[in-house]
Amino acid sequence: MRVVVANRIAQTLNIHAGLAFTDARARAPNLVFEEIDRDADRLALQKLANWMVRFSPRVSVISDDAIVMDVTGINHLFDDEASLGKLVQARLSDNGYASYIAIADTLGAAHALARFSTKREHAFISCSGDEKQDLAGLPTRALRLSEPTTQLLRRFGLTRIGQLYELNRKALARRFASREAADAVVLRLDQALGIRHEPIKPTIAEPEWVMRLPCPEPVAAQEGVEYALDQLLSQLCRKLNNHGVGARDFYFYAFCTDGKSSHIRVSSANAVRDTKHIKRLLKEHIDTINPGFGIDMFMLAAARTESLDHDARPLSAEMVGNFDEEAFIRLADRLAVRLGEKAVQMPTFYQSHVPERAESFAKFDTSLMKEESVSSNAGPRPLRLFETPEHVEVMAEVPDGPPARLIWRRVMRKIVRADGPERIAPEWWKLSEKGARARDYYRIEDEEGYRYWIYRNGLYDDNRGGPPQWYVHGMFT
Amino acid sequence: MAIPSHISDQLVSLARSVSNTEKATDFPFGFGQIGVHECIAHEFGDMTAITGFALTNVKSEGAVLWVRQYRIAQEHGTILKSGSAAFQHIKSHCLHVKTSKRMDALWAIEEGIKSGTVSLVIGEVDEADFTATRRLKLASERYGVPVVLLMPHTREGISACETQWRISTQPSALNPYDTKGVGKSRWQATLERCRLAPEHVGEVFDLEYDDETLSLCVVSRMGIGSLEKGKMSKITREAVPFRKTA
Repeated sequence: MRVVVANRIAQTLNIHAGLAFTDARARAPNLVFEEIDRDADRLALQKLANWMVRFSPRVSVISDDAIVMDVTGINHLFDDEASLGKLVQARLSDNGYASYIAIADTLGAAHALARFSTKREHAFISCSGDEKQDLAGLPTRALRLSEPTTQLLRRFGLTRIGQLYELNRKALARRFASREAADAVVLRLDQALGIRHEPIKPTIAEPEWVMRLPCPEPVAAQEGVEYALDQLLSQLCRKLNNHGVGARDFYFYAFCTDGKSSHIRVSSANAVRDTKHIKRLLKEHIDTINPGFGIDMFMLAAARTESLDHDARPLSAEMVGNFDEEAFIRLADRLAVRLGEKAVQMPTFYQSHVPERAESFAKFDTSLMKEESVSSNAGPRPLRLFETPEHVEVMAEVPDGPPARLIWRRVMRKIVRADGPERIAPEWWKLSEKGARARDYYRIEDEEGYRYWIYRNGLYDDNRGGPPQWYVHGMFT
Repeated sequence: MAIPSHISDQLVSLARSVSNTEKATDFPFGFGQIGVHECIAHEFGDMTAITGFALTNVKSEGAVLWVRQYRIAQEHGTILKSGSAAFQHIKSHCLHVKTSKRMDALWAIEEGIKSGTVSLVIGEVDEADFTATRRLKLASERYGVPVVLLMPHTREGISACETQWRISTQPSALNPYDTKGVGKSRWQATLERCRLAPEHVGEVFDLEYDDETLSLCVVSRMGIGSLEKGKMSKITREAVPFRKTA
């Protein structure tokens, strides 16, 4: 058993991560242990990151114990960087989290300073351009290097980051046995100093338009949530209108006082900025917003924006025509928000001979409205197609024709009429089609008049597995 | 002076029913006009026949909403647009909705009627009681959008529909080019309920659908041939027992 994390008190007793538990107990005899649950920790950290969206839209979890937040351009909202750091730290400690905070120009520098800076009680603010100086005194393991690499650096006598500055890059590379390790050192150093760019991948897609509504008193009632939504929505739509854009995704966040957050997301099939419509979509799920101990901030964000021009409505009803595309898309949106996005579909066509691939249902999108069915010289197609072809047992097979009887869904059916076959070869150039066999489709009719579309999977002498099987794939009207 | 909304609604539905009656004296007796219309399968495999019947009898200039309950799609397959030239009756877009619950399907149908953007709603649901159909009927009359319900043979109970048809598949017509091949589709349709022409209730029609001219014609009994082949003397079949395993 080993120690995984050590807090401040433990560190004063010289207990650190990686220490054997017996040694730790020797230093603090009344130490108790608990097994670490990495998944739960990761989940909690992710939730915390979602909650931190209230400070900045770009928040990301970068390791098991670090959240990175891009605060570029938001300082003025919180007076200055120092008060932002103080605020974040205070809000986190309110919720029972101890935190080390550093604000720096680069992710690498902030990461190193938050962990290894000597004055960790307050947020460490590194002024722009001072990274080199601030980092110089920190140990090399602050650079997010792997354990063997750090050890190797230590063996060379390079214990401080400052020592790496003067070294010749080529000379540094030559000291390492593996090229990867040398590259890693150089990369991490460059990233910390801002020579190389390191992008942040936000956990939530970065919204282009955001409206916030802080509440002086925490809101605990559902009416309050609806009021907040109304307020934010009218503000956001006015803003979108002024810029001539519409958005396809809307996120409505509620941040609770106790560090929890909940959000709802709705999507539209095309860009919208109609207050009424968006509100109707969001209201469908507004019950899922849990006020808990009270919500102290609301946020409404719009993502996937597109330019949306003002549309002049025809004055005369005769000019409208009988199809209102806008209303059609809104209907699809409303259905999707209640029944799920995948429930609303439109047929999509694909140049393929395999029937189930040639026409299938796809999630509704405005682009599908332009799609035309591919006309082909294929044989007759059934009116209803089974999602998966159903295997049937056949009797009286002849190699060059349909069977005389078949058992489909436990009922014996005598075939009286048939035409075909229509041979559909497998698409051998597709990896997924490996081992697929040619199909011979027949249109058959049983003595009661039911008309089936059946196929034999494979030919009798194609040497691609056992004897071919028969399937019912659809039904003709 | 403004007419109160409930009175104006009544006027609208009155005007519509008057215009309906004028056209409802012959086949298909107002099917596909404002109101709820039910097509019910006669037996298990007739779901395709009722789909064909509904598609050939509706005329829609605008967009269509097609609501499918998952259970029916699983048992009877999903609609294939390239499978029927009759889809040409639907001139515009067709939006499909797939739901797992019956109530969701009925909700989607009502939502479609009220949206004011589709000119026809087709619903595949396994059952709909009087309250549900009445609700759809009122919505349909108010917004002027016809509803066609395709239902499996298990459907029972009363309904508030305008017309109710029960349809069964018949052996196809003789194929003039290949006597052993499958010919034009034939169905037998029974008018079980008709609000606009109650005197025709109970009549049986033998229908033949020509997929080249997209026309549906009523064929005489004589044309079909001997009656024995029809549903009157249905061959009773026994289910093959489940295979026994060791």
